[in-house]
Amino acid sequence: MDNQPVIEVNNLHHTYPNGVQALHGIDLRISSGEYIAVVGQNGSGKTTLAKHLNGLLKPSLGQIKINGIDISPMRISELSRIVGYVFQNPDDMLFCNSVEEEISFGLKLMGFEQSEKQERVEKSLKRMGLEQLRDQHPFTLSLGDRQRVAVACILAITPRIFVFDEPTTGQDYFGGQSIMETIEMLHADGCTILIITHDMRLVAEQAQRVIVMNGGRIAIDAPPGEAFKQLDLLEKLSLRAPQITRLSQLLGWQGEALLDVPGFCDWVEQSWRTQDEAKRW
Amino acid sequence: MTQSNPTENLQAPPKPVRNWQARGRLLGMPIAIVSIWAALFVAASAVPALPVPGMTGMITMNTIMTAISGAVLGPAAGVANMVGAIISTILFPFGSFFGLWGALTVTMGGLISGLLFANKWKLAGLLEVALLVAWFVNPRAWQPWMWIVPLPYSLVTLLVIFVSPLRRWMRKQILTGSKAGLWAGVALIATVGHSAEFMTSNVMTNYMYNLTWQYWVPTWPYWVGVDTVTIVMATVVGVGILSGLRKARLIQAADIVPAA
Amino acid sequence: MVGASYIPKKSFLHHLDARVKLAILFVILTLALTFSHPVYILVLLAVVILAWASAGLPFDFLKTLVKYFTGIAVLIFAIQVLFYPGETPLLKISAPIATIGFSGTISQEGVLFGAAMVLRLVVIMAAAPLLIMTTPLSELILALVKIRIPYRFAFILTTAMSLLPSLQNRAFLIQQAQLCRGVGDFENRNLLVKLKASASLLVPLILGSFRDSQVLDVAISSRAFGAPTPRTYLLETHLRTIDVALLIFSALALIAGITLRMLNLGIIR
Repeated sequence: MDNQPVIEVNNLHHTYPNGVQALHGIDLRISSGEYIAVVGQNGSGKTTLAKHLNGLLKPSLGQIKINGIDISPMRISELSRIVGYVFQNPDDMLFCNSVEEEISFGLKLMGFEQSEKQERVEKSLKRMGLEQLRDQHPFTLSLGDRQRVAVACILAITPRIFVFDEPTTGQDYFGGQSIMETIEMLHADGCTILIITHDMRLVAEQAQRVIVMNGGRIAIDAPPGEAFKQLDLLEKLSLRAPQITRLSQLLGWQGEALLDVPGFCDWVEQSWRTQDEAKRW
Repeated sequence: MTQSNPTENLQAPPKPVRNWQARGRLLGMPIAIVSIWAALFVAASAVPALPVPGMTGMITMNTIMTAISGAVLGPAAGVANMVGAIISTILFPFGSFFGLWGALTVTMGGLISGLLFANKWKLAGLLEVALLVAWFVNPRAWQPWMWIVPLPYSLVTLLVIFVSPLRRWMRKQILTGSKAGLWAGVALIATVGHSAEFMTSNVMTNYMYNLTWQYWVPTWPYWVGVDTVTIVMATVVGVGILSGLRKARLIQAADIVPAA
Repeated sequence: MVGASYIPKKSFLHHLDARVKLAILFVILTLALTFSHPVYILVLLAVVILAWASAGLPFDFLKTLVKYFTGIAVLIFAIQVLFYPGETPLLKISAPIATIGFSGTISQEGVLFGAAMVLRLVVIMAAAPLLIMTTPLSELILALVKIRIPYRFAFILTTAMSLLPSLQNRAFLIQQAQLCRGVGDFENRNLLVKLKASASLLVPLILGSFRDSQVLDVAISSRAFGAPTPRTYLLETHLRTIDVALLIFSALALIAGITLRMLNLGIIR
């Protein structure tokens, strides 16, 4: 893997037009292919930070480099080819008469040649499993399918970096699973993934690295195991580790946080085996 | 002498509540939809659509909404647009120089196109004719070349309203047409909606500010251009909305119009 | 753009019943259209400005208003000055140009009429904020209901206002999401780009909002909207003596104004 980070954020400050300063000096290095979760309370600056990555917001101070290139002179349409930003609500984007039209709409505007466009649309439909639905009107599809169409629209542009803004919020369990599978698939393809989320279980199970934001600054930047160990800090930041992690910590687990049920069960099993008969409960 | 009817003393059964007067509805459309449209109208007033430096400043998205309001809401569009315009004049008073009276322009636009779509074409025609009468009653309308001002779109409106085959065709296309037919139908009703709006605006301008033909005539080609572009934009948006409403099976004026 | 929203203060105007203010506004607007002599309209404008000052409303707003409409005002004035068929010549510019109907001279009546039209514009623009900035919205709605505007209308007005912030938010999000797809800027001058941008904003906005309306519909019905019994209100207003007095006074002013007009005063001959 390359040594140069794919995303480099240097001393990023951002103040909104209404005077509110949302980011107070963010420094960040993200390597290619990483799977990162950004968490924090509402207003901590997560979305503000993420929106800088594809040019929706411009820094008030500081610099952002993607693939080593300073992105400040680039326009959103250019940056969208490198960083795909997927919004929470697919209905905020879909408006064409068929899934296929929807996917090719964005491509047309970005100036792809007709032949290449067609190829990309096909690939995208295939990758997202939407071939059967290609002629359907997006509004007749279920929420999960509409989300996949939204991702397909961005995927067709083939960015190598994806930012997902709250992909599982407001979804039921299966909807959430579905989108998570999609994101995993993209990650497996080698894309760099950044997810903004409140869903701690998601963070624990999927992310390789978690960035906790607070008041416009980065409070924690570590793999989830390490991050969820710091109970006091988490409490101060009004965040709670996933249930299974907390349960294990309550039962006396000391090391790197346990992140999922299989890990927890392994530990319990191990402890059970090493216990004296007398100490077993 | 006939025997007295044993049911004579009983009270007549209550009149059945027709759709148009049903609780929770205004002229057939649910109040929720009318309120949402009004709010959308206000939000759209802040977004510029066409960069025209003209008498009324920017042409904003709400002009596009007015043009298709009749096809989406039926006659309730008149009320929805009016409420929206009143609120947006309150919040953004720099929109037009009619002050609160500006709400009248979009009301007429929505009302005439909505009535037409709901097949109350005689009423729609009456309003449109009244509008044109108001224009021609003003002595300034008889100045040299002034007859050109209502053209061409008010003429199109009159044709669509009064020429039965055209009217029926338009409604059929909007209700059930697809592709080219739908586009044509929507274009026609967008023309009606938009021309009613700006004709009202012209009438008001002439009565309130007494402009003369030296203003109206030279600027006419410019305004026709602007109107054409607006109608095209409204058609594109209208087709997207109407086919989306149909496919998503959301409520729209088409659900309340009597059979063509 | 600066909006004309309610500014809470304690002034005479603020304490007036909203219905009276509506009536006064109506009279001012009607009289502004009745007269076409600048002096008469100036009197109206003076009344408006006095009211503005007494209510403690910001004059910056007026200034912005005037600045914004300067272009139009100049146009209106120029048209009247050049083309009004007046009889009293003031200034001879050139030989008559028949094609554009220019008589060659600027007449006194033309100048007066032009001034009147411009003043009329200012009165119309400045009068409505007088009402809006001195009356909280709930009072305004109540006043509308009291003067027998159908309750449905007032309801739509309040509902629309309360829905507005979330819709504006949604419109903003949609614009951002579409930007990420390569939809052009809304500031772009190219018409085709503008066309796509408009459709990409309005269609999801309207469809998405309609979809959410079903929840709103239920909420409205569950509040017994449209029930046949007469509704009572939490907020009540009463007409005081001063309110009634002003009401009568404005009615008289209106009658007087119309009478003057009938007697061919207040216009330019």
